Amino acid sequence: MNEENIMNEPVDKRYMPEISRKEIDELKTTMKAASEKVIAENIERMKKADPHRPDAMKYFDEISNLFGMRQEEIQAEKEKGKKVIGYMCLFAPTELILAADAIPVRVNSGWYDTSKLGDRVVPVEVCPVIRSTIGAKMIELSPFMEQSDALISVLTCDGMTKLSEILSDYKLIWGMNVPRIKDSTQSLRFWNDEIKQMKTQIEQFTGNKITRKNLKEAIELSHRATKAFRRLQELRKGAPVIMGRDAMLVNQTFLWDDKLRWTEKTEALCDELEKRAQRKDWVCSPDTPRVMITGTPMFWPDNWKLPTLVEESNPQGIIVADEQCSGERILNDPVGVDEWSMDDMLNAIGERYLMASTCPCFTSKNGNQDRINWLLNKVKDWNVQGVVYYVVRGCMLYAMEYTRVKKALDKINIPVYYLDTEYTREDVGQMKTRVEAFLEMLTARVDM
Amino acid sequence: MSMEIVGDLLRLTALGGLGVAGVIAVLIWKKNRSTRVTFLRFVIQAVALAGIFYVLSYTVAPATEGLPPILFLYVMIVVFAMTIFLGRFFCGWLCPFGFIMDLESLVRKAAKTRYRIIPDKLNVALHKSRYVILLFFLLLPVVLWFLDPQPIMVSPLMAQLLAGHYRPYSILLDPLIPFIVPWKGQVIVNQVNLTYPYALSIITYAGANIGQVLAVAFVGVTLAGAFLVRRVWCRFCPTGASLAVVNRFKGFKWAPMLHIDKDEEKCTKCGVCKRVCPVQVNEVYEQKGGKIQTSQCMICARCVEMCPYEDTLKVKLGSKTLFKSRNWLEPSRNE
Repeated sequence: MNEENIMNEPVDKRYMPEISRKEIDELKTTMKAASEKVIAENIERMKKADPHRPDAMKYFDEISNLFGMRQEEIQAEKEKGKKVIGYMCLFAPTELILAADAIPVRVNSGWYDTSKLGDRVVPVEVCPVIRSTIGAKMIELSPFMEQSDALISVLTCDGMTKLSEILSDYKLIWGMNVPRIKDSTQSLRFWNDEIKQMKTQIEQFTGNKITRKNLKEAIELSHRATKAFRRLQELRKGAPVIMGRDAMLVNQTFLWDDKLRWTEKTEALCDELEKRAQRKDWVCSPDTPRVMITGTPMFWPDNWKLPTLVEESNPQGIIVADEQCSGERILNDPVGVDEWSMDDMLNAIGERYLMASTCPCFTSKNGNQDRINWLLNKVKDWNVQGVVYYVVRGCMLYAMEYTRVKKALDKINIPVYYLDTEYTREDVGQMKTRVEAFLEMLTARVDM
Repeated sequence: MSMEIVGDLLRLTALGGLGVAGVIAVLIWKKNRSTRVTFLRFVIQAVALAGIFYVLSYTVAPATEGLPPILFLYVMIVVFAMTIFLGRFFCGWLCPFGFIMDLESLVRKAAKTRYRIIPDKLNVALHKSRYVILLFFLLLPVVLWFLDPQPIMVSPLMAQLLAGHYRPYSILLDPLIPFIVPWKGQVIVNQVNLTYPYALSIITYAGANIGQVLAVAFVGVTLAGAFLVRRVWCRFCPTGASLAVVNRFKGFKWAPMLHIDKDEEKCTKCGVCKRVCPVQVNEVYEQKGGKIQTSQCMICARCVEMCPYEDTLKVKLGSKTLFKSRNWLEPSRNE
């Protein structure tokens, strides 16, 4: 393949406007500075919300700086010859990337400002996650996107489908075609073939053969990460020992952090939290209304307004769970390997990414009943008292599933609040009023 | 006589003790939750092999041709009675032929070779065909008796069933014939007769010469088949039909007390249960929550063991939970 061509030689851009180097650099400097400020501010506010925040969070604060240490580490690895493979949807089989000794990073953008730049390429009706990612690429803001040697794009929603096409102006894109009806034999067969194809592609690109042993190690590593993740989630079932935002940040850093180190640090965090739970050292009153967030993914750093609002509002709420592909869906499901043969491992990876997913891009005989079940189960197990259904404008699939989710949750008498917003800071005041009203109502219900 | 009974009791106790010791050993040493039950099952299968060998050789004089069919009938009745309440538990946990095939799977796993999947439609068709096969063997002696009535004193039809040329019970009991049966066999190594399920029946019914060839071919085909496809014989084994048949009737839904139960809400439909099932049962994956209605499942509990979500799948006896799916990631390391 003429991979080298695509990457090095200037290609005729099919979507992206020509921007002068000077403009790119200028915008990048301003937005980077602004973003660093936002990261620092977010963390500052998280610290303030929980005055004696766990010590183990320090590490995650550091890793959450997108322009900081992790970026340098990846750069150093790259110079040693490692490949970086970015991905935009959780369907990308990270175990295969790890097994080929490459670095997986997720490259979706959470920057508000860059979504304005994305408007130059796509209309404002398009989901801001997509616009922002386009904008970030335009001015080379995202370090992980820039470091990626190839991008795995899974064609889940419409936005992602075209995003991959737009980004192919710059990057080598590997598309993965995800079947929309997931629970049929032919879908699984098709998807497993895609996984096998991806394995070959990754092997060819990195030059490293994915052996049985490597893949087993990669799967075991992700098992360990899932184990640590589940331990953290388990801790959130009881009275609050950690702020929801902190836990969400921990989960999200997994997307770009070194997997082993992340696991160790999360285990350390869990150790600390377990001790606190024994001491009954809660971060806020155990009567605080317990909120779950579901809907459109929320990406660090800018798009942190909803969790911030929920946990800083008066009356306060605590986020105990989420159902988002930027949160708990990252690590919830382990790869269930029956026999450690190459064939079975690949099938297990295929199933884990396709069948276990509750992405609303799927439908089936029952519709996306899996997602409903997951939500109902979460509400029960995490003792959730209210659900915030968060949707950004243009996110069709999540918006359209709202009615069904509401009906299901109404049946078990759990209030749901539909909160639609944009990639903007302008509506924070108005959102604050809405969130506070919802939490007020929840508090009244808790007191009852 | 009384000494013999004492001796038998001692032997059975020893066997039971060995089984219990094996189970405890597995529970203590095997920390990996995703293979624990599989190991447990191997221990129980091995004990069952010894037990069945013992029961079948009991009261049978060596090298006697006319075996007391009544004993086989007892075994058959026990197996049947068990089925009504325990489903195909026998197939999954006790059957020696199943044990042979599971051992083959172990060998295959050690060789890092993949297994093959047979298409779902074929699997279901095979499953249905076991009833046809069963019916065939049950009707054959009756038809033969009508064709050629034998002047036997008491209840001629019964006699034909029990002692005629084609004895259906012996065919249905064939999977129980373990590797070694003391009084009959094809290959004699160090004065021990080795045999294989169905091999002797084939030779008896097909005649000595052709039968030998057919038996060898049968052994070869089933051994190779079970190496490629997990539990290949169990897909259409007529004994499995006889065991599973009660589960199929609506009025008897209560009967299989030992069953797999699913919590629909906790299930994320990740599909692990479907993939790991050695007999490719789809019902656990496809059915809505509650009692899983299937006559294919042999309750080997592999799906329950591999289900990564706490409490989603359960093996239940009546309303009592015997074993439930757990987060098998948990004590994977030494604890």
